[in-house]
Amino acid sequence: MTPHIGDSYAERNARERARTLLDPGTFRELLDPFARMRSPYLAAQGVVSQSDDGVVVARGTLGGVRACVAATDGRFLGGAIGEIGGAKIAASLELARRDAERGTPTRVVLAFDSGGIRLQEANLGLLAIAEICDAVAALRTHQPVVAVIAGRVGVYGGMSIVTALCNEVIVTEGARVGLNGPDVVETEAGADEFDASNRPLVWKVTGGRRRFAQGHATALVADDMPDIRAAVEDAFVRNRPFVAIERPEFPDPGLEREAFLRAYGITP
Amino acid sequence: MSAWDTRRIRKNQRLARAASYVRSGVFESGDAVAVLESVLEPGDRVCVEGNNQKQADLLSRALASVDPERVHDLHLLISVLGRPEHIELFERGIASQVDFSFSGPQSLRLAQQVADGRVRIGAIHTYLELFARYFVDLTPDIALVAADEADASGNLYTGANTEETPTIVEATAFRNGVVIAQVNRIVDRVTRVDVPGDWVDLVVVADRPYEIEPLFTRDPEQIDDVQILMAMMVVRGIYERHRVRTLNHGIGFDTAAIELILPTYGERLGLRGEICTNWVLNPHPTLIPAIESGWVQSVHSFGGELGMERYVAARPDVFFTGRDGSLRSNRALSQNAGMYATDLFIGSTLQMDPDANSSTATLGRIAGFGGAPNLGNDPRGRRHPSQAWLEMTSSTHEIRRGRKIVVQLVETFRESGVPTFVEHLDAVALGRMAGFPIAPVMIYGDDVTHVVTEEGIAYLYKARDVDERRAALAAIAGVTPVGLLADSTRTQELRRDGVVAFPEDLGVVRGEAKRSLLAARSIRDLVTWSGGLYEPPKRFRSW
Amino acid sequence: MIETLTFTYPASAHVARRAHVGVVASGNCELLLEPSPEPSASVTVRTSVGGYATTWEAVLARFFARHSIAVRLEIDDFGATPAVVAMRLEQALEQAR
Repeated sequence: MTPHIGDSYAERNARERARTLLDPGTFRELLDPFARMRSPYLAAQGVVSQSDDGVVVARGTLGGVRACVAATDGRFLGGAIGEIGGAKIAASLELARRDAERGTPTRVVLAFDSGGIRLQEANLGLLAIAEICDAVAALRTHQPVVAVIAGRVGVYGGMSIVTALCNEVIVTEGARVGLNGPDVVETEAGADEFDASNRPLVWKVTGGRRRFAQGHATALVADDMPDIRAAVEDAFVRNRPFVAIERPEFPDPGLEREAFLRAYGITP
Repeated sequence: MSAWDTRRIRKNQRLARAASYVRSGVFESGDAVAVLESVLEPGDRVCVEGNNQKQADLLSRALASVDPERVHDLHLLISVLGRPEHIELFERGIASQVDFSFSGPQSLRLAQQVADGRVRIGAIHTYLELFARYFVDLTPDIALVAADEADASGNLYTGANTEETPTIVEATAFRNGVVIAQVNRIVDRVTRVDVPGDWVDLVVVADRPYEIEPLFTRDPEQIDDVQILMAMMVVRGIYERHRVRTLNHGIGFDTAAIELILPTYGERLGLRGEICTNWVLNPHPTLIPAIESGWVQSVHSFGGELGMERYVAARPDVFFTGRDGSLRSNRALSQNAGMYATDLFIGSTLQMDPDANSSTATLGRIAGFGGAPNLGNDPRGRRHPSQAWLEMTSSTHEIRRGRKIVVQLVETFRESGVPTFVEHLDAVALGRMAGFPIAPVMIYGDDVTHVVTEEGIAYLYKARDVDERRAALAAIAGVTPVGLLADSTRTQELRRDGVVAFPEDLGVVRGEAKRSLLAARSIRDLVTWSGGLYEPPKRFRSW
Repeated sequence: MIETLTFTYPASAHVARRAHVGVVASGNCELLLEPSPEPSASVTVRTSVGGYATTWEAVLARFFARHSIAVRLEIDDFGATPAVVAMRLEQALEQAR
């Protein structure tokens, strides 16, 4: 008996994710690999660049409505954002904002799989993230900005901040949304505090289920394209205005560590 | 008048010396060092259960802590020399000789100990061969083994990870050696009797459960399209062609790819029930989809695999399980099954020479063999025929025999960019430097019937002579130095004669070699296939 | 540092469209393939794993001997083995046909 194994989003590369999120046959990539928008900084550091700098931006329709998807490729330098890739994302958001102001709304989906800022491009990556945050903040007042975090890298660092700015965040159980990577937390706080090799713990703290339970994600779906597409469509149809996450009740930091973790429903 | 029961007398003396620490056959873990110092004598043959998976680590740590003034020059017998304290035995002068099969993680340090003259290697064996010698000229005086449970009579329950415990204990007990077992717990009644209490002398409850590693789990997320292409060639060009029903898979991502394309590619070819029905291998999680899809009639295992316990217990029609429901493994019997009762062995290797001799030996390390030589050879004692076995010979002589299908599955280059195919195996130089009388070859070329690379299949069993064998191998050796010597006209002839096949000759389309052909593409998918019965160890979790 | 290698082979067969396969991930490579008006296949390889020029030459020579296609090909490599490179070349060819 073949069980239902979903049509996996996580298995797809960024281009295929964008293609499958958009309505069939409507995918049209902006600045495709043949435009050769490579990072100007990597070669000097002995790192081979990719022709699309690890970001795919495509237009098409979503549920028949004009749409734009920006997808990061988690397999290229961990999906980390550099100047070019960052500019692609920021520009697509800017164009969508302009469209919205002119009365022709464009649905924007951010399909992110990213470790955050690309260290090799440091400040340029930071600047890019800042521009992206700015653009999301401006766009989200006109219409929902929808993030799909369903890949194998998840979002960390500055890209998790961008995600948190979105009106709607769709996650799967395999997704992760966190600020500092597990290894960084372990290095800073010690393995007793957080054992990065304890993978179930990593997902328990930053995984899709927890993020949905906390309200940081607005939909939790199976890793199955029909479910993800339906959740994306639903997010736009609901047209929820952006609301800041209600401040959770933080337990007293003076509490014992075990009690602290238990208060968050984590069995230490 | 000499006595004929000196071993029995000595055994009683050993146990008497330790008596003050023992109550009803049990001693405290804190007394382990003292007990070993009492029981052991200099020069003893000590078999320590360092198996491929299970480790009697309380006892091995205690052994490494004995006083070398009292206990020295031990002759260590061990399947897998894998723990740091095994090396400490040589460093501290507790043991000075070793016979073993595999040393994996300690291969570098072992080489250093040998170079420093602190240990003499008797020989490196394949598993079954080492166990065989326990009954001939390497009988242990002392066996240090691990089990899950013991009862008051000393009956042991070893469960899914039984491995070679019964074999080691039988050899030791029935020639009056001393058998000491560490257990996770003592119970009123063992879950089932894997080793009878009559065979066991002393039991100790370990401070923590014996160490065990999930060595046979491969994450489908790591399988790439090159491995899938090779898997398709194996299924089409070997399993289907020779109607292979009984087989053994060595562990690896490439064999995992084969397991995972049976329910898809194999199904499309209409092969379910025709091939891959009876298996000898550990409970590979990647075999779950094939089992669930009805491909597998039986599996016998060398050992268990962490996380597979509930799944195995729920599939007693397939696996060997006891009355208690859990898996019963047995490395000696499984190795024997793999040798005589399977039509095919398939595994990978690191290096191969133009005659298809292969080795995983690397300079500066003494790694050993494990079970591959036993499984990857043509057992000439076999007498029962099968279609696959008979197909390996074209002889029509009135006196003839078949051959086991022995497949080596390798990419032309290793990940590091180093060629797999070389003129001379490193093993030759290694053997010379280490003073071995013969080079440590894993699988001999004259046992190999097929070699598969990403370029195609060399049907070596069909080659008429050594020259044709070499040409066939070179034809699939890609752009390695060996492969670049291939003559393209010769290669075309070999393809015409069916001695070499490229993917297109097999009807295998490169463009179809995609991850979407895998029945499960993640550990999570395997859990889904198992209906939630498979419980992956933490390191394999991504949710 | 990045090693850049260039190779040219005589070629005449045409391909219908351009192709893009692969990714610059460890053990992998990205290929950009475009039809060329010249009667040749010209290849540029950029790799962060230097010292394998002869291996690249051997792999590419074999491929273009089998498929004498007039193309411009760029390869961005992050340590792909010849097996992976050969696979990507075949995949690019399939896309381009």
